[in-house]
Amino acid sequence: MSSMDSHSPPQDAQNAPKQPSTALRDPSKLFYQSDGVHRSIIASYWAVILLAVPLWWYTTSIERLSLPQSRVYSQAENHLRLPVRICLVAGDQQLAGQLQDSIQQHVAKASERWNGLKIDVLQQGQCNSNDGSYSVIPSDKGITLEARQLSYPLADGSSVSKLVDTLSALIVPYSAASEQEHRVAQYSPRYRLSFSLLNEDAAAGKAIIGWDVEQAINRYIHPILSRLSTLHNFTIESQVQFHAPLAFTPQELDVAYALTSEDLTVFVNSAEWTLSSSASNDPVLHFVLFIPSSDRRPLKIANADGSLSASGAFLLPQWGGIVIHNPTPQDVPSDTDLPPTDLDQVFSVFSNQLLALLGVPHLPVGVQRGVSEREALITDWQLDALLRRRALENAEGAQDTLRSIVKLVDQIENMPVGEDVKGDVQDALAALDKMYASSRTSLEQAFRYSAQALTLASRAFFNPGMLALLYFPTEHRVAVYTPLFASALVPLFVAVLKEFFAWRRQRKLLLANS
Amino acid sequence: MLLLSFFHLFLYLSSWTWRTSATSPDQEQIVRDFFGKDGSTSTSGHTNNWAVLVCASRYWFNYRHMANALGMYRTVKRLGIPDSNIILMLADDASCNLRNKFPGSVYANPGRDLDLYGDNIEVDYRGYEVTVENFIRVLTGRMEPSVPRSKRLLTDERSNVFVYMTGHGGNEFLKFQDNEEISAHDIADAFEQMYQKKRYNEIFFMIDTCQANSMYSKFYSPNILATGSSLVGENSYSHKNDNDIGVAVIDAFTHYVLEFMEGINKTSTKTMQDLFDSYDVSKIGSHPGVRSDLFNRPLDRARITDFFGNVAHVEVTPSIEAETPAFVPPTTPGQKSERAIPSQSALPSLTTSQPLMDMRWLNNWRVARAWTSVALLGALIGWVGLQK
Repeated sequence: MSSMDSHSPPQDAQNAPKQPSTALRDPSKLFYQSDGVHRSIIASYWAVILLAVPLWWYTTSIERLSLPQSRVYSQAENHLRLPVRICLVAGDQQLAGQLQDSIQQHVAKASERWNGLKIDVLQQGQCNSNDGSYSVIPSDKGITLEARQLSYPLADGSSVSKLVDTLSALIVPYSAASEQEHRVAQYSPRYRLSFSLLNEDAAAGKAIIGWDVEQAINRYIHPILSRLSTLHNFTIESQVQFHAPLAFTPQELDVAYALTSEDLTVFVNSAEWTLSSSASNDPVLHFVLFIPSSDRRPLKIANADGSLSASGAFLLPQWGGIVIHNPTPQDVPSDTDLPPTDLDQVFSVFSNQLLALLGVPHLPVGVQRGVSEREALITDWQLDALLRRRALENAEGAQDTLRSIVKLVDQIENMPVGEDVKGDVQDALAALDKMYASSRTSLEQAFRYSAQALTLASRAFFNPGMLALLYFPTEHRVAVYTPLFASALVPLFVAVLKEFFAWRRQRKLLLANS
Repeated sequence: MLLLSFFHLFLYLSSWTWRTSATSPDQEQIVRDFFGKDGSTSTSGHTNNWAVLVCASRYWFNYRHMANALGMYRTVKRLGIPDSNIILMLADDASCNLRNKFPGSVYANPGRDLDLYGDNIEVDYRGYEVTVENFIRVLTGRMEPSVPRSKRLLTDERSNVFVYMTGHGGNEFLKFQDNEEISAHDIADAFEQMYQKKRYNEIFFMIDTCQANSMYSKFYSPNILATGSSLVGENSYSHKNDNDIGVAVIDAFTHYVLEFMEGINKTSTKTMQDLFDSYDVSKIGSHPGVRSDLFNRPLDRARITDFFGNVAHVEVTPSIEAETPAFVPPTTPGQKSERAIPSQSALPSLTTSQPLMDMRWLNNWRVARAWTSVALLGALIGWVGLQK
């Protein structure tokens, strides 16, 4: 009222003769006290609140797009089956049948090992050398490999079972139960190889202060890498260190210093050796050439029975390989570079270790390489076996990952699922579909799609936006919202009630008057 | 006297355990045959080890929590887990606090024997980076692409992971930085997500906070072994004060776990059962709990080094080097036992038990020092007063 009064004197001065001269006006006559304005003000508050509710709901709810659940589950039921065609060249019908039966028996016996493979034995007429089928040629010069061709002495029926053994060792060289399976690094599209020359203590003298690592890598490592380029990309780094102490003291024997098998497990002194740069997030495979200090030579690995092992190399599963090299005293008058002959030895060990870590299978005993295969480090048989293994692994990994995404999203209710996750899941499913489609025609293509599916599925799983909000029980929610909303809503409710009663009273009055 | 009675107790206990183990060799053999061929080898199928160590509280008066985490850090590192496989989260930097009388150092015992901060330490998450969100991101692997390798938990299905947490907590929660908290559900869900993506082989979860045992009550994923410092409704206590640092330097539960760990080296065959048996309620002051129903191995087959060490298997590969193997007669046991355990002897001990004589002498010296300074001060004041 007072503010209106302060405005009124000039008005009063002008309109003084017309207006009745009362200092106070009737409040009900003020324009903003009219019922209509009054109610619309209160209604507008309510309108704002009600209109804001959807906005509040939208901004506080978690974006959870629906994932193609049924497709994921039906895809998870599928199992990749890669065809393996074996073509018997120059054999009669009977031999082919015999081989087929024998292989089937073999598969039935070790079904887990042959999981995911479909074996066909073809007659000579049906063979097509371009579709990746293997051919078996009877010969009398021993077991020889030549590209995808196996020459095998097939004299009589009894040799068929031996042939089947050889074939199974070539086609499925992996067995799940084997201890050696632990050492194969997990599949990654990219690896970093780190080569380190470590002197235990160069200050003690007679150290190896350099190596021609580039040339050695070109000779021993690059052929492997280019052969495996369909599977992985590699980056290489190398270093030389002059002080790389061991964290323990090797046992001193009469002729040498010995490392027991326990010592080997703790050989890598990760606290003091810096073995790889942390430039990227790719998995690293380490290759370490260790030169013992000159007052601790020769350093040898002890066998379980206490004798010294001839080998100075060992492999840490999934981590890398280590070669201990003892320079012979007469060779090394003072600090030198690593002599080329030693370098060759070391790198041939490294290359074997690399093959083992990447899961390249060995050729079975008794199988020789043909003339054209002498140079190649990895034969087509080995590469195919590796491709099949990785393709099966990746397909299974991708399916598992997709299934667990769907399961987790179901299970954890406040886990957001954004557009990119949904997109990645759909792309991974598409890649899996393409993989199944191409598995009949091209192994390489199937592998590529499997790797793509795994990468996409993992990216979806590890999407930073998928971080579930923290667990927030209902009583906490009430405790947080009540102080905020109660204080704001109580006056609004009271205003509505007051207005309602006023309106009722007015209506009653009107009714009574009329 | 106390020492003597402890010795008696030890003798009694050891003879008792010996007797019980001796009475049932058949049963033990059956169990051993059932679970593995060789009793001496580890049964864990892991090829790498990781550790996530979290100190969740800041401020100077929580010095002990930083010391807890750093003590664990030192132990896992000593036992062979490389820095690249340790994610260390410290919510505050006690070593650089203005109130730290020993800048650049963190000690876990009143005598200040061992500087835990040392000169080779890698803190991966520090200060305000230690949040619930980042911790969950570390576990689940859901990181922005720009996060460096050193801040990631790059585990796989052959990894054994040790998760250690310390801070202030309550029933089913642990406070982070005094402004947010992680609940037992969150950790359980994070572990489930790790399990679904095959990010671990086994997890060993250890937590030192008030009502710690509630923190592992919600776990539901397999292959997790968990231990905590105190029951629901029970506090977890600090161990010792240092008069010069001015605050408690370590928590009791962690202290006794670390003390036990000092007796372990990289090739030790002690098992988790031994660790749990070493818990002594009267010393710790609270009731530590163990949860092993999700864990698939018997505790006396799970080695400490399965979680605190590194690498279980090594393969000697045939070398191309054509060196003739020099024949050496098998080493006698005597030679072997003479071999020093370098990892232990090289590092000073963490334990606080010093010879009694030393302590008494130290106390006397302190009292004498205090009285001397009082006398000196008195003399100075007197002299100043007489001058006027």
